[in-house]
Amino acid sequence: MIKSVHFKNFKALIDTTLPLNRFTLIVGPNGSGKSTAMQGLHMAGNTHAFHFLDVVTASLRDVDDITVEIRVNWDISDSVVFSNSGWECEDGKFKNFGPDFNVGQLHGRVITNFREALTSFQIYSFDAQKLALPVELFPNATLYADGSNLAGVLESLRDKEPESFEALNEELGRWLPEFDRVLFDTPKKGYKSLLLRTRSGHRIEASDLSHGTLFALAFLTLAYLPNPPSILCFEEPERGIHPRLLREVRDAIYRLCYPEDHGEKRDPVQVIATTHSPYFLDLYKDHPEEIVIAHKDEKGVHFERLSDKPNIDEFLQDAPLGEVWYSGILGGVPNQP
Amino acid sequence: MKVAVLSESPADEAAIRILLEGILQKRTQEIPSLPHIEARQGGWPSVKTLLPVTIRHLYFNTDADALVVVADSDDTPVHQSGHEQVGGEDRRCRLCQLRSVINMEKARFRPIPSRSPLKTAAGLAVPAIEAWYLCGLDPHVNEATWARKLQAERITFTRNKLKAQVYRTERPSLQMETRYAIEAATRLVDDLSMIEQLFPNGFGSFARDVRSW
Repeated sequence: MIKSVHFKNFKALIDTTLPLNRFTLIVGPNGSGKSTAMQGLHMAGNTHAFHFLDVVTASLRDVDDITVEIRVNWDISDSVVFSNSGWECEDGKFKNFGPDFNVGQLHGRVITNFREALTSFQIYSFDAQKLALPVELFPNATLYADGSNLAGVLESLRDKEPESFEALNEELGRWLPEFDRVLFDTPKKGYKSLLLRTRSGHRIEASDLSHGTLFALAFLTLAYLPNPPSILCFEEPERGIHPRLLREVRDAIYRLCYPEDHGEKRDPVQVIATTHSPYFLDLYKDHPEEIVIAHKDEKGVHFERLSDKPNIDEFLQDAPLGEVWYSGILGGVPNQP
Repeated sequence: MKVAVLSESPADEAAIRILLEGILQKRTQEIPSLPHIEARQGGWPSVKTLLPVTIRHLYFNTDADALVVVADSDDTPVHQSGHEQVGGEDRRCRLCQLRSVINMEKARFRPIPSRSPLKTAAGLAVPAIEAWYLCGLDPHVNEATWARKLQAERITFTRNKLKAQVYRTERPSLQMETRYAIEAATRLVDDLSMIEQLFPNGFGSFARDVRSW
């Protein structure tokens, strides 16, 4: 698990640390660096795929001898383990590095796992049209960042993990009571498409389902994957979903993070999500350590864990967390010009 | 008897209905147009915000006989018998606040021919409904102990620990919460005297309200 990430000269994140938990919900206004932080984590595992000029803070583009650095602090019980990734510009020459770990062979297997976690890191921002598309069938189907390949992933789940697929259908019926089963069609040879069956027996093609229904199905699918990626990010998981379903979305995310609490044997997934929804934020009022507020001011972006605010319990008391955040009292609201 | 239940989650509502039926010793009917009046997950603030409109809705738009509302006390004062005296109410006590809203709304009702008055009952789970679920299982969990905690005395449980004790996780799913809520309430109705004794103000007041119907 990642404990924190320090960004230096990375886009809008000039010199700031993002504290992380097994689940972290980042709230903040547009342009406060929430998505940039997630991009940074993705890029930290794949520095070769990005150029210095794509990642350096805009105001430093023409400055010599600049290093863009993303330092990931990993949680491991008996050691301080961190990895450095980044890009340099020295004498007009560009190069990338990392992730380089501060420990050697001693932690070989652990480092391999951490490295894999960074490179397989996914930022999900579902696109309803992509979720609904028929897919060409391949073995080991994975769900792409925009939700593409949902039909393939679900069919693979049905064939390889029938018990999980049945549990998913059962939960689908609780989330969306009008439906009772995920079905598949073969629009042409080698392709699969997705349908949902209503309780009255009608088959609704994925392209005719509401965006919210498709987003909910995508969340459920991730929650039931036997081997999900070890770190996942969600951009606005509440988008398009009815507020009454947000508790279920939260539950699905927690199941990914805390499989042991749900009788599952797989490894926990670290989840980072962003939100603009006071309703979604309300769901985490009992766990202020999971909430990070992104602030943007004249000094740049900085992140603050809600539980690190002094006397937060006494301060909030009865007040609804989402409303308090929305009001700007907790910070994270842009200053007026 | 048609009874609506307003609480902090559908899981709480399931438990409260079982407890209500145990007190009444008869089954109740949900309001067909409104099987779950569900406060959003904001907890207490949502219950408090939703209560006035729920009372008006039930009275003017439905044939509901009664409304039950139960909230968690969290870190607010525990309701005391002294609050029941004229002029004794504590504005920080959530049960007093619920009752104040109920009384204010009911006082504003215009009579409707053939509509009987809406009965109401209010309860306060101290500090959270999970404490009720542990009644009889953990002798340390009761209103008196929590009241001592509010006086800065060190006690063995916190609200999150109560959750962990009941659900074996501090992050239960709604399904998990509902399952445990129904199990616990079903156990408690076998002998309501125990929960009335250990939670005399939050649960006891609720039971007395219901018995007065």
